[in-house]
Amino acid sequence: MAETHRITRAAFLESLNDFRQFLKEHCRGVTGVTEEILYDIQLAVDEACTNIITHGYANMDPGSIILDLEIDRDKLTIALTDFGHTFEPGSAPVPDVDAPIEEREMGGFGLFFIQQSVDRMDYRASEDGNTMTLTKFLAKTMEDEHEH
Amino acid sequence: MLKYFRVKQEPEKIVPDLGAISLALLERDATLPFTIRQLNNLPEAVKQRLYRGLLPPALLTRFGIDPIQWTGADKELMVHLQAEPESEKVLITVRSSPAPEDEYFALELADNSLNGIELNLIVLNDPLAPRFSIDRTAEGQPTMFGTLHRNLEAEGQAKTAGLAPGQVRAGLGGSKVVFEHIDSFLAMLGHRAYFLEPLTYASAWVFERRGFAYVRGHKLMDDIHRAFQPGGALYACLDDRSPFRKQEQAGTVRGRAWAIHDGILDAIDQRWDKIRMVKQIGRRAGVETFPQAVY
Repeated sequence: MAETHRITRAAFLESLNDFRQFLKEHCRGVTGVTEEILYDIQLAVDEACTNIITHGYANMDPGSIILDLEIDRDKLTIALTDFGHTFEPGSAPVPDVDAPIEEREMGGFGLFFIQQSVDRMDYRASEDGNTMTLTKFLAKTMEDEHEH
Repeated sequence: MLKYFRVKQEPEKIVPDLGAISLALLERDATLPFTIRQLNNLPEAVKQRLYRGLLPPALLTRFGIDPIQWTGADKELMVHLQAEPESEKVLITVRSSPAPEDEYFALELADNSLNGIELNLIVLNDPLAPRFSIDRTAEGQPTMFGTLHRNLEAEGQAKTAGLAPGQVRAGLGGSKVVFEHIDSFLAMLGHRAYFLEPLTYASAWVFERRGFAYVRGHKLMDDIHRAFQPGGALYACLDDRSPFRKQEQAGTVRGRAWAIHDGILDAIDQRWDKIRMVKQIGRRAGVETFPQAVY
């Protein structure tokens, strides 16, 4: 049975720390959640929320971001829901992270960092908000290895 | 995986144009959402059956109203349904007696421009409690709950009696059950959410407790909370200049609401007209912009 937790905060940059602390509070100590995994999901949530704050709620008094965390035996699932402008896939190229820093285009790295930090990313826009779902598989434990 | 995101320029309609509700349409797909307008175009008896689902039966029976026929002890109609064909709104009002001033429940739902659902009005008053004429000026002009004009004398009396701005009578209680019925009704129609614009700070706080999140104004609510702390810009404005600006008001939801109703947000260069809230059907957002609040 998955364990679920929720936090809702206003979409502005000061809330990012609350989301980080929330993830740390509920994930640290969970079997299979290494410090590296915790860092990865915090980074992915930071980037996704920054995207919502700067683009999703652009030109409006910011609304809410709801973070739902689901802890399963083999994965963490984080759903971020907002009610701002909807995103859609664009045609712009993936930023070239191998280019010399002075030649890199500004922006576009948020999504790249998210993709590098989690195993799966989904996005759904609906009547009840825009939801980005991030999935991170957990490290296998000795116990798991013995079971297989 | 997606490579890149951009903000969508044109929002899509929530409900596609499906035309009139027919048996064939009902059989097609149970998840297709319907609009209020589609419901209003149904025959009267069908409408009454459907809209009955918005009214918690106990809300009627406690005042001797038959929850099926909508009549009182003298067989007079106490529940009034306004749902005209082609209209995008439905208004249901309930009275504890035939007198209009004894209306104790009002609920208006409407389609919005994207065919989503707006909760335009919800009133739940105790018809046995004293009434305060905050809705009319001394000359009898409508005040639009104090948003267009103000009846300061009546508002002062209402505040002293413990009411929040916009209330003509003390609340009846039971809004939790009413919202559960709205959720169920809209789920039956196939909607996943509905929206509203709270009239006052106090109503926004109540809606938070009923599970709403913010489309606009969450940060403003956080800013208001901070500014009412000692040393904050709003706290400094509670200077006894009017009966609606007393220092002790900073610590309560109603107190803050009266000060905001009195125009105190000017001090932080804001106005109470930007807030928009959303309720996801069957979910509670868990927003709390005034932690450990005293109502």
